[in-house]
Amino acid sequence: MSDEPAPASESEAEAGAIADTIGIWAPRGNELRIVVGTAMILALFPFVFARMPVVSDLLQGYQSLATLILIWGIFALGFDLLLGYTGLLSFGHAAFWGGAAYAAGVFSQHVSGSPILMVAAGTAFAVLLAWVLGFLSLRRGGIYFAILTLAFAQMMFYMSSSPLAFITGGENGFTGVETAELLGMFALEAELPSAAGLLLGTWLYLFVGVITLICVTLAYRILNSPYGMVFRAIRENEQRAEFVGLNVWRYRLMSFILSGLFAGIAGSLFTIHGTYVPLSSLYWTESGEVVIMTVLGGAGSLFGPMIGAGVYLYVENIVSGGHPFEFIAPFWHLILGLVFVVVIWTFPRGIWGFVRDVRDFVTGGED
Amino acid sequence: MPLLETEDLVKEFGGLVATDDVNLDVEEDERVSIIGPNGAGKSTLINLITRRLDPTSGDIRFKGESIVNRDPHEVVQMGVSKSFQTASIFSELTVRENAEIAALAAEHGSFGFKFLEHRDSLTGVHEVARDTLDAVGLLDQADRTAAELPYGDKRRLEIGIALAAEPDLLLMDEPTAGMSPEETEATVDLVEEVKRDMGLTFVLIEHDMEIVFSVSDRIVVLNRGRIIAEGTPDEIRGDPEVQEAYLGGVDL
Repeated sequence: MSDEPAPASESEAEAGAIADTIGIWAPRGNELRIVVGTAMILALFPFVFARMPVVSDLLQGYQSLATLILIWGIFALGFDLLLGYTGLLSFGHAAFWGGAAYAAGVFSQHVSGSPILMVAAGTAFAVLLAWVLGFLSLRRGGIYFAILTLAFAQMMFYMSSSPLAFITGGENGFTGVETAELLGMFALEAELPSAAGLLLGTWLYLFVGVITLICVTLAYRILNSPYGMVFRAIRENEQRAEFVGLNVWRYRLMSFILSGLFAGIAGSLFTIHGTYVPLSSLYWTESGEVVIMTVLGGAGSLFGPMIGAGVYLYVENIVSGGHPFEFIAPFWHLILGLVFVVVIWTFPRGIWGFVRDVRDFVTGGED
Repeated sequence: MPLLETEDLVKEFGGLVATDDVNLDVEEDERVSIIGPNGAGKSTLINLITRRLDPTSGDIRFKGESIVNRDPHEVVQMGVSKSFQTASIFSELTVRENAEIAALAAEHGSFGFKFLEHRDSLTGVHEVARDTLDAVGLLDQADRTAAELPYGDKRRLEIGIALAAEPDLLLMDEPTAGMSPEETEATVDLVEEVKRDMGLTFVLIEHDMEIVFSVSDRIVVLNRGRIIAEGTPDEIRGDPEVQEAYLGGVDL
C-alpha cells in the first residue's frame, strides 16, 4: 500500500525484522508492558504487605503469606484458562495441585533437593496426570465433567491416605521434604542482601516471584495466541466451533493440560514453601478454594484470579488470626462467604470486572 | 463424479422415518435448493450430511469419499461448511474474531500447537477474515462485539463464518428465517453475490419461494422424507405432484 504513512510502515517493518531474528520469543503488542508492570508489582508487594511502615501494620501482612499468595495466584491463573476462557468447570484440580506437591516432595527426598528440579518434577507429574484425567473426564460435558474430575481427585486423596501411605505418609502428610539451596548457593529462607532484602525479603520470595512472572507471561502468551481465541470460541458456542472445523475435543484437552501445568508449578512451590505436604492438599476443599478464588477475582481475566487468591488468603490467614480483627476472627468463614456473595452480587465479573468498570468509567470507555 | 452424493440414505427416529431412501447428487458449481413442507425432513438431511446425526443406513460421499465415519470437524475440513438456521455465532467475541476463528480452522487445520505464537502473525487468517467480512458487508463493524449486532446482521455474520471456512460446498439452512423483508432482500442479494463471485456450490434449504426460484439451478422437493420431484425451477413450478403435496394446489 503506497498511501500508508511511511514512518508507521517503517517501524512496523523494523518490529517485524526483530521478531524474525528472535522468533517467537520477541515480545509483541502489550507483552512488554504487562511483563514490566507485573515485575514491578511483584517487587513492591512483599515490602508494602509485610514491611512498609504504617501500611503493613494496618494490613498485618507477613512475608510468608506474601509468598503463599503468589503460589495460589499461579494455581488460580491456570485454573482460569479452563474455567474463565474455555468454559469448563473442573472440581478436581486438587489432583494436580496436591499431586505435584507430593511428586516434588518425594523427588526431593529420593533424587534431588534442587528447588528448580523439584518444580520441574512436580510439574511434569501434574502435566502427565492432567493428560490422563483430562482424556477420561472430557468425554462428558457440563456437570458430568465436574463430577468426573471430582471423583478422580477424591480417588487420589484416598490412594495417598492409605494404600500409598508408605510413600505419602498417609494421614500425617509427607514430612520428608529436603529442599537444597537454590542453584547450590542460596538458602531459600535466607534474607536477600541489602535493598533487595528490604524489598523482596527472602530468596524463596525471589524464586517464587520469578516463576510467577514467567507464568503470567506464559498465560498472556497463550491468551493472545490462536489458542486464546479458540478457547473463548469454544466457551461461547461449542457446536459452532466444531462446525467451522475445529477439533473441539483436542483443544479442550489442551486447555485442561495447560491448567494442569500451572497447578503443577504452584503445587511444587507449595511444597518448597511449606517443606511439608499435608494430606489435605489433595482434598476436594482445595479444588473448591481455587474455584472460589477464580470467580471472586474475576473469571475470564488474566489478573483477576490472582487478586482473588490474595483476597481469599488474606481473609483466611489474617482476619482469622485476631488482632486487629479480634471481634470478627471466630467468624472468618462467614466473612469470606459474605465477601464472596457481595462481590458476585454487585460485580458478577468479580473484583477485576469491577476494576475494569471503574477504569472504563474514568476514561470514558476509551482503551 | 458428483461433489456430494447420498446413496439410499435412511434416518429413523424410533418409528418415524425422517429420511427415506434419499439419493441426492450435487454436481460441482451447481446450486441446489431443497424445499418441502414442515417436517419433510429437510433439516434432518442437512444434519446427516454435516454429521450432526448418524444415518440409520446408507452412505454419504463427498468428493467420492465416504464421510459417514467422520467427525463433524473432519467433514468441515474436507470442505463442507454450514450456515445455521439460527444465528449461531460467538456472541462475546468481536465480529472480526468470529470470522478469524473460521479462517483459522480453514488455514491451519482442525488443531495446532501454536500456543506461544501471537495471533497477529497469522496474516493469512487476517486476510481471509477481512475479505469475508467485506463480502458480507460487515467490515465497518469488525470491532463490535457480535452480540451487539441487529438480528439481520447476526445472520449475515453467520453466513460469513460459513464462508470464511473456505468451503467447496456450502449448506445453508433457511438463511432468511426470521428476517424482515428488507433483511431478506439483502440476504438474497448476498446469496446472489456469493453465487456470482465465489462460484460456490451450494445446497439451500428455504421456505421463501422467491429466493428458491431465483437462485437455484435445480430444485429438489422432499415430502415425508422422500424425494418426490426434482428439476429446474420451471419444471418444479409446473409439476402437479409438487403443487399437490407441498403447495397445497396453489398456483404459483
